[in-house]
Amino acid sequence: MARLHVARYLLGSALTGLWRNRTMTGGAIVTTAIMLITLAGFLAINDTLNQMVTALGRKSNLIAYVRDEARPTQVMAIIDDLRTRPGVGEVQFVSKEDALAIFESRFVDQRDILDVLQSNPLPASVELRLNDPSVVPDLAQELQTMTTVFDDVVVPLDVVEEVIGISNLARVAGSVIIIALTGVTLFVIVNTIRIAVFARRQEIEIMKLVGATDWFVRGPFVAEGAIIGGVGAGIAAIALVVLYAQAAPVVTRIVSFLPVSTDTDFVRNLAVFTLLVGLIVGSLGSYFSVRRYLSV
Amino acid sequence: MIVLQSVTKSYGDVRAVNGVTLAISRGEFAFLMGTNGAGKTTLLRLISREEQPDAGVVLVGGGNTAEITGPGLTRLRRRMGVVYQDTRLLPNATVAENVALPLRVRGMGGSSVASDVNAVLERVRLADKEARFPRELSGGEQRKVAIARAVVANPEILLCDEPTESLSAERATEIVDLLLDINADGVTTVVATHDTGTVNRLRRRVIHMDNGCVQSDTLVGSAAPPPATNGPS
Repeated sequence: MARLHVARYLLGSALTGLWRNRTMTGGAIVTTAIMLITLAGFLAINDTLNQMVTALGRKSNLIAYVRDEARPTQVMAIIDDLRTRPGVGEVQFVSKEDALAIFESRFVDQRDILDVLQSNPLPASVELRLNDPSVVPDLAQELQTMTTVFDDVVVPLDVVEEVIGISNLARVAGSVIIIALTGVTLFVIVNTIRIAVFARRQEIEIMKLVGATDWFVRGPFVAEGAIIGGVGAGIAAIALVVLYAQAAPVVTRIVSFLPVSTDTDFVRNLAVFTLLVGLIVGSLGSYFSVRRYLSV
Repeated sequence: MIVLQSVTKSYGDVRAVNGVTLAISRGEFAFLMGTNGAGKTTLLRLISREEQPDAGVVLVGGGNTAEITGPGLTRLRRRMGVVYQDTRLLPNATVAENVALPLRVRGMGGSSVASDVNAVLERVRLADKEARFPRELSGGEQRKVAIARAVVANPEILLCDEPTESLSAERATEIVDLLLDINADGVTTVVATHDTGTVNRLRRRVIHMDNGCVQSDTLVGSAAPPPATNGPS
């Protein structure tokens, strides 16, 4: 019965405390919401950028032209081997006949050129579509050494290197900014709660002096911290879902040449993550903020 | 009930309490007299274990307060009621909520808290102001609320620091009469004051302090001094 009274008192006390200190409470909730919207928003932007860079990397192609005298079995063995390589997406063999057909279809008005020639001058080729642009330079070099099979290896190395550079920069910069932003977010939320607790330090002291246990004092503050963090994070999560729903179609339209995913799973997970961060940081922030005033 | 043996407490270079030895029996009423800075408040803080002595021993109910920590300290605080000089009422809590606090921390709730709070507010004649906030009360009324909070959980010891300070003679008398009434229930009561008029009006034990030392310990209006002794000063 006493425990029930205490639990009821703690929750009631937390809600009363929040209401009676509503200016401080409102400030803490707004600060928490703004910081979490900023963090979650950046996480969403970073994820989209990473998807775009990855999609850009998937556009990297490599074409190896096959010598006419190369043995088909040898070429097929190489193709089979390439298909097992990490970072390699599609591997397609384009025969001499296929190459001619493609030429004819693309250059309909220049078919006369082919009529002049006695035989098909176009070489067969192996075309690779790559998932990871970083494997391109090594792969190109390897194929270039197979001089008995391949006549030439064509690869837009400057573009590939640029994509790799952008990809690495985006990942490193994204990680650094996320770590820094997470640190700043936690710092601001915890300090906002610390200020709220500091303003009520006399209350903590009095409760201790009339015989309250540490947990009896902490309870309402931890509950208040969780409510502040939860409500702030809830506002951030709702704002995030609404903003994402508005922004995703626009982003998809602007970068329609890239397959940017705007699935709802991602934003839902981000909203849940934001809520959890708010609740945990709010309660732990209060727990540790109160602790320093308990030694009365 | 309360025993101090050669107790010394300093704040930096200032020796607030200097070798005080005294004993206060169960159910006794004692005034701690002295000017500002005489050491009265520090002595009360040592008894309530808000402070610990630099030297000497403070015994409350036979236990050395310096050796009490954690749950033991919580139990010790629940045996005492303290009326602070600045009242230390929670500004954002009503009169009833302030008074109920010592009962809440004991895990009490529901109608028993309400009836206990009502009873003690009746006793201090503030039953009609239970829903007010401290800022809406006069100085005298705030002191009464602080007294009500100190006694609501039936403590064995009541420590009061300048409960009549800045009050009119009439209000001061009202407060002291209330403290005597509480003491009549068997609560050991120690009142720090420099209100000579109030002290002289009553035939009670007076421990006079100056510069952190006990200068005299007498029963006002009586030839025989109480058994407590002065410490070295």
